[in-house]
Amino acid sequence: MTDGIDKAREEFFSEAQELIEMFSRNLLALDEQGIGAADPSIINEAFRAVHTLKSLAGLFNATEMGRVSHTLEDVLDRLRLGRLKASPDVLDVLFAAVDCYGAMLAAERGEEGLNQPQIEKLMGVLGTLGESAVEEAPDQMAFDLEPGLLAVLTEYEEHRLKTNMDAGQALFRIRVRFDLATIDKALEDVKAKAKPHGEIITYLPTGDAPSADAIELDLLMASSSSLEQLEAALGGTDLTITAIPRISQASASTGISSLSTHALGTSSFAAVGEETAGSTVAVGDNPRTEPPVNAELNVPAVPMLRSVADTVRVDIRKLDGLMNVVGELAIVKSALNRLGDRLRNTQDRELRREVSRIQRSFERRLSELQDGILEVRMVTLGQLFDRLSRVVRQISRDMGKEIRLVVTGAQTEIDKLLVEELGDPLMHIIRNSIDHGIESAEQRKAIGKPVAGTIALNAYQKGNHVVIQIEDDGQGVNEAAVVERAVRAGHLAANEVEMLSRAEALGLIFLPGLSTREQAGEYSGRGVGMDIVKTNINKLGGIIDIQSEYSIGTQLVITLPITLAIVNALLIRLLGRTFALPLSSVAEALMFDEKLVRTVDGREVMTLRGSTLVLCRLDRFFELKEPALPHEGPRYKSVVVATMGARRLGLVVDDLLGQQDIVVKGLGPTLRHVRGFAGASELGDQRVALVLDAGAIIEEALAGHDAVTTMRARPS
Amino acid sequence: MSLRERNEEPVREYLVFRLAEDTYGVELIRVQEIVNPPALTEVPRANATTIGICSVRGMLVTVVDLRRVLRLAEAPASRNSRILLTRTEGAELMGLYVDEVFQVSRLLESEIEGANAVLGADLSDHVAGIGRPDGELIVLLDMRSITS
Repeated sequence: MTDGIDKAREEFFSEAQELIEMFSRNLLALDEQGIGAADPSIINEAFRAVHTLKSLAGLFNATEMGRVSHTLEDVLDRLRLGRLKASPDVLDVLFAAVDCYGAMLAAERGEEGLNQPQIEKLMGVLGTLGESAVEEAPDQMAFDLEPGLLAVLTEYEEHRLKTNMDAGQALFRIRVRFDLATIDKALEDVKAKAKPHGEIITYLPTGDAPSADAIELDLLMASSSSLEQLEAALGGTDLTITAIPRISQASASTGISSLSTHALGTSSFAAVGEETAGSTVAVGDNPRTEPPVNAELNVPAVPMLRSVADTVRVDIRKLDGLMNVVGELAIVKSALNRLGDRLRNTQDRELRREVSRIQRSFERRLSELQDGILEVRMVTLGQLFDRLSRVVRQISRDMGKEIRLVVTGAQTEIDKLLVEELGDPLMHIIRNSIDHGIESAEQRKAIGKPVAGTIALNAYQKGNHVVIQIEDDGQGVNEAAVVERAVRAGHLAANEVEMLSRAEALGLIFLPGLSTREQAGEYSGRGVGMDIVKTNINKLGGIIDIQSEYSIGTQLVITLPITLAIVNALLIRLLGRTFALPLSSVAEALMFDEKLVRTVDGREVMTLRGSTLVLCRLDRFFELKEPALPHEGPRYKSVVVATMGARRLGLVVDDLLGQQDIVVKGLGPTLRHVRGFAGASELGDQRVALVLDAGAIIEEALAGHDAVTTMRARPS
Repeated sequence: MSLRERNEEPVREYLVFRLAEDTYGVELIRVQEIVNPPALTEVPRANATTIGICSVRGMLVTVVDLRRVLRLAEAPASRNSRILLTRTEGAELMGLYVDEVFQVSRLLESEIEGANAVLGADLSDHVAGIGRPDGELIVLLDMRSITS
């Protein structure tokens, strides 16, 4: 029972989230189009999203959300009717509503309290938008439409009609006959064909249906195309198009008479008007039987209900559950393989072949299943990037900087869980870019840069990794200031400063407590920024690198694994214990020879193909004790070269056991702080092996000023 | 039993087990399952009370040695050793390593005394009280305090 309720609530959350995101996307699109050119269909979509949110909120007793939606609906309605222009100020308020929705949803989830002041503030502003603001010029139709027709047009349709007339569009009547059984699809079809040519203002049944199974509609359409063009585009036997000529009676004021050149038909407007009026009488006792909102929005009710039918929303925990099953099947697979090995000595060839065939087929299906589940977990970065665009817009307006955001690779796919964790770090980086990176408009003008700063957000897949680049064309990082801060914070001795390479100096920005701005901005610069960004990225098994040129800009590159769920890993032995090391961070493995080890600056290194490799003896690194039970000593040790970005480290291990696909499970909260492990995985023999976090180990082994010295020891 | 049932006084159920030489109890409702200890994997760098992790039907369990938590002398595992599975407030699946599980005891509230008066400051963090059914002595542990 409660399960059912919880489930319903879960769906409420995810559906509301999607609607909020859609609303936000619509706003961004409106913002892009500018005040004059707002596409009415986008405003309608935004209106619909908010309207659906309102009903959802009502269903789930989210009163505040319902109240905000209701007021927001009013404002959007005024936008639709052209009583309010989609100016940047208005959009600001609407964007604030998106944020407010987010907070309210979090409150519903119980993640945080309801932020009443935020809601009241928003309601206050929305209220003023709902009343005053830009009133349209007195409602005087610029053409002499037959009153009967006017009477059935909704306010919105009237507004669209007027807008189109003002824009010099001609008016057409399209009479089309539909089979009731297929009307949804057929109507969509006509709409789609008509869309490139103009706007359908209203649909009116003629009441003239030839049979009970059919219906005839008059579509009133505004278009700049000619009758012939429309006929060619819409063409069909059940469809006749007539141009509606304009007879300008009184209104010489708006230059309508010039429009009459578009009038191609023969029938007079008055006649058409009468005809249309007649048809409305026919539906008079049954006016607009659709629910009011849908009718106003020109959207038949049925297609709306259908639009979501081909996707399924799934709780990611269920996918984790499936992934566990796959992991267990992998264990079955190894058992099967062992069985196959035992059969190798048997004389029964037939049996041997049979088992080996089953083995292969099982393996193939298993990997298909695994790939399938992984694919389901993948989402595009698009949603996240949309959210970031909103942030860019908000911050740049607040700071009075003009920013152009260029997004590429939004279709790049990555594990859903990773996307959720990526939001905050990316947000922070972008805030930093706008606040510290991009100069003020005056400064930019003075040095001959375009006034608008550019932030480029790019993502692409590279093997099993996803790379995200954030680049700005700002002033670049002031290395000298970073170094000075690092010295002051005690990360670096003064005499080490001049030995720093450029890359090393820039890397210091990721150390705790470094902020190069004297004054902390509202959005960034409290000195708690980049080290946390780095920690978060590292936690996801990723790395972050920075490049910066003075006065040219800064680029941050984040490299992440595509998924954390299934990992191809190298199994290694250390003092009788088994560990797994994700192969994605392994460059190569070679035999270890004690005689080749040299010591530089108190660190063990060896030479690998002409360059220096810093070594890390993992058993000492983790301070492992000799196990109580005797174990087989290594015949020969190995060096596994682990890499993360440009950094590498030679891990000295006792033995290599081969590779295996493993399902990585996160360690519990009490163990999460333990650095060096990305999680644990069950191996075939019921034992659990820890999964090494190569990034963290490399980081730690090359940490602090050790990193500086060891990096210097290596010719690069 | 029947005498108790008739009594209006609330009854609480405790899972009673042995650690070293003493008898302890935790609220039964907090224990999800009692399992035979599977092979444990030690976690380097973990805090001293954690003896390792293991997998119970595909779920990762963090195993804590109750002797270490309560600062008792360590002893090797025996064939009576068990792991009590419990879910912490942070939704972590945790296993408490105990020496031997005895039974479930139903204690009347009047048979439970508060810990503060009886024991030293450090231990009483984890001790919720002392149960005294029929002249026995059960140290009642506070699961929340142990697993946080």
